[in-house]
Amino acid sequence: MLTPLVPAAIGPEDEALRAEVRAFLAERLAGVPGARRARTWMGFDAGFSRDLAARGWVGLTLPVEFGGGGRSPFARFVLIEELLAAGAPVAAHWIAERQSAPLLLRYGTEAQRRDIVPRICRGEAFFCIGMSEPNSGSDLASVRTRAERTANGWRLNGSKIWTTYGHKAHYMVALVRTSGGPDDRQAGLSQLLIDLKTPGVTARPIRDLAGDEHFSEVFFEDVDLPGDALIGQEGQGWSQTNAELAFERSGPERLYSSTVLIDEWMDFVRSRGEPTESEAELAGRMLARLATLRNMSLAVTGQLARGESPVVEASMVKDLGASFEQSIPALVTDHLASLEGPVPAPLLATLDYLAGMSPTFSLRGGTREILRGIIARGLGLR
Amino acid sequence: MSDDLFLDPWRRLLDGLGADPWPELAGSGFLDLLRPEAEGGAGLDLAGLFPLAFEAGRRPRAPHVLPTILARLADPQALDCPDAGPVLVAGGSDPAIVRALCAAVDAALMAGAMDALQAMTLDYASTRRQFGREISKFQAIQHQIAVMAEEVMAARMAAETAMTGPPLAVPLQAAAVAKMRCGEAALVCAGVAHAVHGAIGVSAEHDLHHLTGGLHRLRLSHGGEAYWARRLGAWALSRPDDAATLARSL
Repeated sequence: MLTPLVPAAIGPEDEALRAEVRAFLAERLAGVPGARRARTWMGFDAGFSRDLAARGWVGLTLPVEFGGGGRSPFARFVLIEELLAAGAPVAAHWIAERQSAPLLLRYGTEAQRRDIVPRICRGEAFFCIGMSEPNSGSDLASVRTRAERTANGWRLNGSKIWTTYGHKAHYMVALVRTSGGPDDRQAGLSQLLIDLKTPGVTARPIRDLAGDEHFSEVFFEDVDLPGDALIGQEGQGWSQTNAELAFERSGPERLYSSTVLIDEWMDFVRSRGEPTESEAELAGRMLARLATLRNMSLAVTGQLARGESPVVEASMVKDLGASFEQSIPALVTDHLASLEGPVPAPLLATLDYLAGMSPTFSLRGGTREILRGIIARGLGLR
Repeated sequence: MSDDLFLDPWRRLLDGLGADPWPELAGSGFLDLLRPEAEGGAGLDLAGLFPLAFEAGRRPRAPHVLPTILARLADPQALDCPDAGPVLVAGGSDPAIVRALCAAVDAALMAGAMDALQAMTLDYASTRRQFGREISKFQAIQHQIAVMAEEVMAARMAAETAMTGPPLAVPLQAAAVAKMRCGEAALVCAGVAHAVHGAIGVSAEHDLHHLTGGLHRLRLSHGGEAYWARRLGAWALSRPDDAATLARSL
């Protein structure tokens, strides 16, 4: 059995950040259509990331001595809740800020920490995560990309695929095999830091169903890397990667992917006059689920703030949150298709984007099936 | 008021009740928890009541202790009261507040019942063997129970959030969230619990149906999902705020 979540509240000091972020976003996102904003953390805008960084809003929880803000996880909760609910294009710095910088601070060399982390906080160093390969998806331990020791470091060969913004990032943190073979599973895997400008690295964007190029295929052909490209310990890549995924799964980004659509839909319903019972009911159902998820996510943030590692709880909130986000396009479609009058084109464009892309919500950061396996283990079932 | 002060004696009291529980309950003082201290009560607020309601919800055969505790806000002599609503309204309280209060307490009872349902289901899945192994080793079973655990956690969070402040100042929108979300979760949890238990779960002698039956009856009382969703949604649509702002106030 799991210990119950303890409700948590955001203190006034962290809550005070909200108005400032809101004002900034109201100005920067004015006139940006919903279908564009619905991309949120799939939207890449380096200039926007640098502007956020200039306000101290990239690396908010990282130590001040490395260029971060030194704030609490609750301050970050406020910031990213506002960014995501508004649909800000945060993809450029997202991964670097959320997981690569904490990873480097924990396992990196002093030189990497002094050089790269401050650049992440300035919105100048963007990261991607090299996990999936053509024949390794959820079965991540089967990766074949391989690094061999050389006199001065490592020589890397192989490829990664479905890498979010691999063609735009400056660095990749990749899970690769440094010893043994696929039969050795988790043993023999290591994490490497790859400067994507290194000779032998090529990245090719892959077009998604919405016409965006948000992910890519990255090839490594006799790529020579320095000795300090190894992050942490050789052979510990699996456990280091899982610790990193916990960062990815614990944030409120698992609740707000469809809020732009909810907002546009509510505004449309309001514009039609007195809502019908079925409209009120739909709004109420969506809101009750969202509010509960938010309170759960806040409780997980409280666990992080206390220095706990809420792997199972974060997986539960992510699974439930992804299901919620995925339900919204279908619910809104049901309502809009029940009307006889015209529906605004911008609302339909947002709906079209989310109806198409929402299946990815239960793929990214660990599939639904992987998460339920983690939860089952937490419950003592496996 | 801290949980620790009341929780263990409360558990012992509920677990030790005999065939005629009401004299013992009345003598325990627990029925007057919400009443003002000046009148011999404990002056507990809803946050203090939540763990007690949750524990009562875990015991499907317990008498109507929670409605009776609520009813005593208006009628200090109330005993064996199945529904506090009419008593509180007769005592002069606003019917809308009373309904929300009863719904929030229903939600807390449901959250407790779902917690017990999960424990019972985990235990059964880890004991029952088929095809030469415990059925908990089958991925299909594991994933169903994982979904159940998520709903149990969501239900508890929703109920606990609504249980705050003085009883007759229960937050209306949070109560709507609680009853709506616990009702939704109850359907999922009852479905998974029965699926995992198989035929024994519908036998009269097995405790499972007391929990699932209790959940179905609580879904019916003081407004169900559609009722509270309409209330909540009408409130949301009457305001200019975006979804994140609305959710933050709940």
